[in-house]
Amino acid sequence: MPVLAGNSRRDLEVHSYPLLVYALAPLAALVLQAWLPRLLHGYVWFDLPLVITIYFALGRRSPIQGMFLGGGLGLFEDALTHHAIGVNGIAKTVAGFLAASVGVHIDVENQTIRVLLNFFLSLLCSGIYLFIYRYLLGLELDWSWLTELFKAIGNSLIAIVLFPLLDRTRIDD
Amino acid sequence: MESFFSRYRNLLVLLALLVVQIVGLAVQVRRVDSGRSSLDPSDSSGVRLIRLWANAIVSPPERMIHSSKLNSGNLWQSYIDLRHVSEQNKELQKTIDRMRLEQAEMLEDARQGQRLQGILNFQEKYVYTTVAAQAIGSSGSDQSRVFYLDKGSADGLDRDMAVITPDGIVGKIRDVFPHSAQVLGINDQTSGAGVILETTRIRGILRGNAAGRPQIVGILADQRIQPGEKVLTAGGDQIFPRGLPVGVVEKVIPDPDRDSFILVIVKPAAHLDRLDEVLVITSTQPRFSPQQQQDLATSEALKGPEAAAMKEQKKASELMAEHLPGLIDPNLPPEQQPLNDSSNPNPVARPPSALHPDRFTPGTAQPGTPETNAAAPSPETAPKPKQPGAAPAGTNAKAAGPDATPKTKPATAPSASGKTKVSSGAGATPKPKPPVTPPVGGKAKPAAESTASPDAAAPRNP
Repeated sequence: MPVLAGNSRRDLEVHSYPLLVYALAPLAALVLQAWLPRLLHGYVWFDLPLVITIYFALGRRSPIQGMFLGGGLGLFEDALTHHAIGVNGIAKTVAGFLAASVGVHIDVENQTIRVLLNFFLSLLCSGIYLFIYRYLLGLELDWSWLTELFKAIGNSLIAIVLFPLLDRTRIDD
Repeated sequence: MESFFSRYRNLLVLLALLVVQIVGLAVQVRRVDSGRSSLDPSDSSGVRLIRLWANAIVSPPERMIHSSKLNSGNLWQSYIDLRHVSEQNKELQKTIDRMRLEQAEMLEDARQGQRLQGILNFQEKYVYTTVAAQAIGSSGSDQSRVFYLDKGSADGLDRDMAVITPDGIVGKIRDVFPHSAQVLGINDQTSGAGVILETTRIRGILRGNAAGRPQIVGILADQRIQPGEKVLTAGGDQIFPRGLPVGVVEKVIPDPDRDSFILVIVKPAAHLDRLDEVLVITSTQPRFSPQQQQDLATSEALKGPEAAAMKEQKKASELMAEHLPGLIDPNLPPEQQPLNDSSNPNPVARPPSALHPDRFTPGTAQPGTPETNAAAPSPETAPKPKQPGAAPAGTNAKAAGPDATPKTKPATAPSASGKTKVSSGAGATPKPKPPVTPPVGGKAKPAAESTASPDAAAPRNP
């Protein structure tokens, strides 16, 4: 498994980005996540803050940074809804932690791995969201796993396009 | 110890972050009486502050994007056009592109103008005070069907105000910020609006389902509910005024959670996923145009003298009733009652006697059995009392006793009112009663009840 294993120095290097990218990419993700559903007539089959969380967690390979970024974006997402603040925060905190932890061990430059990571972490986030909302908080929530599957596929497709674009802003040592 | 923290630093940070957020969640959720949990509808100050920050960060870019009118459709179209024409003639393409952009902008302006004109017309005709606002953003989550308006508390908006379009209701304001407001759509799972079906008049509660479709819950299975029936607001929720269109019944499905209940899926009248301009009902006090106000004032002015005249007439008739003699005076003995007064120059007109009297003819009722009048036997078959003390059939045990004897006398024949009328004094010869019509249905007051009158009690002890 030479492709999957992150043994080489290149695979394990920590990428850095301009400060503007750190600031604008999450903000743009939040704004577009709130604005695009109006154009798409309610079909919210993507989660841009999650994609951004996974990207930076993979690139930085720092679980703590991934957790804080994911948690912060999740809290902002929650704040824009009328639900309890913290549900998305917890889900994306876990996603950021797992993405960074995985990034330490495998080759995250591989496009297939990126797509698969996005797909499974999206489903995991949905599962965590459902678990917290329905079982931890005991609130009523109708749920459609089909929609979550579409969302995971949408996130994967967005990652295919977005990750190479963000890679261009990377600062190489 | 240091090595422990450094070794498990990531996990400890994860744990700390999760604990902090879980505690924060626990603060926001409360347990209701039924044992289930619910979100606190009124956010605490900390939660509201976070929402305010998020709104302050996201709303300005959204507002900017919205005002620039550069939607993704235009960008995509421009890109395609530019790519095709640049292969042929760049200059010509620029001109065409600019013209198309202008055309698209003008078309968009025209459409917006038409929409605004429609809203303005509706707003002018609508009886309640409304504020027009534009939808600028959404929650970004399909689990939370909320969207944001470009107006807030500075424009007079407040919580729980109804948001509508000329087509139908949209939702209610859930939270309000200085220059924006959060609207909870009627297709959200946590929303609730009282609705009524127009034809069958069945009431229910409208809320959203997982797919974001409004549905009416809490309705027992009813075959009368058919697709296409209109759904209106019921007006009992203190948010939406009564009679606003909600949508039409799309289909009826059984409620999977409750037997014998159904879910009525509603096709909303308003385009909930394509909202641009909406109206917020800021006051439910009726607002009338100058012409309507003038009409109302005229009506009130005309109504004043008319009401005064009617009041005067009523008062005069009451006074006249007090001074005019009545037909029955409780203070006079029966023979002096105005009804029987032969000296009265204006006697009560009596109905002509029947040509062929039967058991229904007034005055032929069997005496002493007022209880059985409802099923009075015919004169041919009814047993007639042959001697005093013989109780007629149908009388009860009490009436058949010695006390019942006088009841069998003709003098105790029930009157039209069911009360027993007797002549004055014991043993007095009964005067012929004026023929009166028995009450409809044959119900007469029983003789036992007639003892309430002192006159009726007199013949019991001759």
